[in-house]
Amino acid sequence: MKSMNGLQRFWQQAYLLRLLVRRNIKNQYYRSFIGVLWTVLNPLLNMLVMMFVFSSIFGTEGITLDYPIYILSGNIIFNIMRTSTAGSLPCLVHQRDMLQKTKVSIRLFPAANVISSLVTFAFSFVALLLVGLIRFASNDFSFHWQIVFILILLPAVTLFSLGLSYFLSALYVFFRDIEHIYSVLLTLWTYLTPLFYTVERLNNETVSKIMVLNPMYHYVEYFRSLLSGVLPSVQEHVIIYGFAAVMFLIGCIFMSSVKNKIAAKL
Amino acid sequence: MKKDKNLPDRDDSVLLDVKNVTMKFTKYDVRVDSLKELVTRAFKGDLKHEKFVCLRNISFQIRKGEAVAVIGRNGVGKSTLLKIVSGILRPTRGYARAYGRISPLLQLGAGFDGNATGIENIYLNAAIMGYTKKEIDAKLSEILEFSELGDFIHSPVKTYSSGMLARLGFSIAISMEAEIMLIDEILAVGDMAFQKKCYQKLTELKAKGLTFLIVSHSESVKNLCDRAIWIERGHLVADGDAKLIFDRYAKMMLNA
Repeated sequence: MKSMNGLQRFWQQAYLLRLLVRRNIKNQYYRSFIGVLWTVLNPLLNMLVMMFVFSSIFGTEGITLDYPIYILSGNIIFNIMRTSTAGSLPCLVHQRDMLQKTKVSIRLFPAANVISSLVTFAFSFVALLLVGLIRFASNDFSFHWQIVFILILLPAVTLFSLGLSYFLSALYVFFRDIEHIYSVLLTLWTYLTPLFYTVERLNNETVSKIMVLNPMYHYVEYFRSLLSGVLPSVQEHVIIYGFAAVMFLIGCIFMSSVKNKIAAKL
Repeated sequence: MKKDKNLPDRDDSVLLDVKNVTMKFTKYDVRVDSLKELVTRAFKGDLKHEKFVCLRNISFQIRKGEAVAVIGRNGVGKSTLLKIVSGILRPTRGYARAYGRISPLLQLGAGFDGNATGIENIYLNAAIMGYTKKEIDAKLSEILEFSELGDFIHSPVKTYSSGMLARLGFSIAISMEAEIMLIDEILAVGDMAFQKKCYQKLTELKAKGLTFLIVSHSESVKNLCDRAIWIERGHLVADGDAKLIFDRYAKMMLNA
């Protein structure tokens, strides 16, 4: 646009992104009367259900971390990816009226979903700290300074989720049945990630080999090792950022290569 | 726009420059939009597709202050042309450059978020169109006044009637006063009084020197526009005085 320089344009886009994120968060808990409190309660209630179901069925041997913390930590990291992608998948199609008429960067829409997921994560993190405090009081858990390394982990998870969100939202424009396929894949992915069990306990070579290829396994385990007070190795850092960079590139390249087709297809 | 430098001899009064635009689409016999369909058709060998030329060598220039109507039958590529002009679609060949800000007038409440209030939607829609918060703040009272929605502006838009949605959408686009307004068949909404008001406002904006590109079938835009572009099967058939071309078009449609 002629009347705007680069910096102004950047702030305009940032402003739009903020509005989109705010809309997402508002819509998420729109009808509930306790509103945003759900973001804290939701992971807690999920944790209780999983604790109840899985500790009595699978047992908790082999898990050194306190079990409630183990479940909660895995789930809130996994949820960043899950809510980002599930929200992003239909986001371009839902905005079709707008995108057909206005020249706006389509990347902003998936990005808004990913940022909303991060906001939700922040609330869930508070829930985790609360549980941590309770378990600390009963001597089942202790806090470690390594938890600040979450700030190293989050950009990797975000980048990974963003890449996948770009990819899925663009693909959905062409294939509307991706929605059903992805929801099944997401369930599979949930069970293939050690959210309530440990890989060691399965004691299965093939599973362990496959697990290494699951990016979410690395993100979840990274977070848990921080909670146990262990800094992950340099190699582990390379892995988490490697997955993130590859996924982000795939998403970006795919989106820009079909950008013109998206506008025609919407 | 980026390529301004490459056009040293550009006439300053030209706001919209469409040059040799050709647009081709890959057309499947049946619109394939699910993976299942793609796979089953691929197995059956039923994936015939052909290049379908939607627009062929379209060139025109629009100068500042002109109001141009684009007419033609359904499906001849008018809306595609508008998408190319606004930069959403890149043409297969040729180019379309706009020297100024473009504001699209959306159809009936398109792009609104049902759960958000009228005010929130004003900000969201205008931000999507590329306006900053400051610019929107400055125009807010004008938008509210024009829409005549009163206290409803604080209610979620899902409680609005379709006429109210149209009012809101129209008020946003018309108040933001971009140099170029793209209007795609929307003037048939709202009650008579509001329609009249819209035409008044458009005439007023035209007098102010804004540029319009209107896609429409309706005769009512004839009075607003001073020039018309007639597109038939992807070709530019005629470009000239609105009244003459509208008459020719009407005659052709009646005889067909």
